[in-house]
Amino acid sequence: MQLNKVGIGVIAFFGLGGLALAIAPFLLPIPTEVAIVLAPLGVIWALVALGLGLYARHSQRKADHQDWVFQQGLRGTATVLDAGSSAKVNEMPLMSLRLELEVPGSAKREVKRREIMPVFAAARMQPGLRLPVYVNPGDADDFILVW
Amino acid sequence: MPDADSAYGELAGSRGLELLSSCSTDPLTPLLVEAEGVPLQPALRGALGDGVEGIVGQLAYKRNKTFRFHVAYTQVPAAAEFAPRVFCIRRGRSTRDDEFYGFEARHSKLWTESTALNERFAVSTSPFQDPVWLRRLFSPSFVDWLRTAEPADFSFELAYGAVLGSVEQDDPGAAGLAALCDATAHVATRIREECEG
Repeated sequence: MQLNKVGIGVIAFFGLGGLALAIAPFLLPIPTEVAIVLAPLGVIWALVALGLGLYARHSQRKADHQDWVFQQGLRGTATVLDAGSSAKVNEMPLMSLRLELEVPGSAKREVKRREIMPVFAAARMQPGLRLPVYVNPGDADDFILVW
Repeated sequence: MPDADSAYGELAGSRGLELLSSCSTDPLTPLLVEAEGVPLQPALRGALGDGVEGIVGQLAYKRNKTFRFHVAYTQVPAAAEFAPRVFCIRRGRSTRDDEFYGFEARHSKLWTESTALNERFAVSTSPFQDPVWLRRLFSPSFVDWLRTAEPADFSFELAYGAVLGSVEQDDPGAAGLAALCDATAHVATRIREECEG
């Protein structure tokens, strides 16, 4: 997953709004009852922004690692043995794939993978489909599937 | 739309295409996914160009508003193993206006190596697309053709061997539909040539 402009706006809204709500009651002359409501609400908003920011950072690190595997990995082939989906994320199926990996220098082996895919790609994940893979030279379980 | 019917009838007559009352669609490309199974209506089947068989038809679907395209569909199955996805979409095109998310799956990246191409199109692929094959596909002559190709609002999608050319006009007329068929056939032929090496 990657953060887009809408996500940046959401994080900014909750982060800045949360800080304002949390701090304003102590700076402005407002009734104590109102301050007791606004300050915790601001903290909650700020925590939401923090959580989204951490998730975005985790996603970016994962993306950087995938780029490294793509650049430095061993190219092989994955044959789809089985595919199915029981959930959707942002209208896109979360596909559960059973794959047979063929990588130069290694024996064929079966692996499982879950990928969020657009509908047009998910519809093509049928047994027998062959797709490129790039495998981390130092960790055979670390690979990216090119779909 | 009566105008669309007459344009399709005229194209069928001039090119010897089979007129279909409608043609069902599968979610094979992003545009067809947006249409959510709406059939092509009217539609024609036959030769889009030299050696390129396919279907051309009107695709109209509603999200918040009605989006109307004319599309030409053909297949180059061999492309799947070289480039699962290549989308060459006219800049400024809109296919939906009712969904916004803060996070999205990292399933594509823009290909920006050709400045000339990027003036007219947004080209996107898998983030892990082999760049060498893509450079060969978008040869200087192909890029030059795409820069000036008619129809002016032409776009194409390649997804797992399915090639879908499209235009956004409400009523392109028989000449516009013929240009769509020619452009889609040209793209499909170029992709096939590159697959065959």
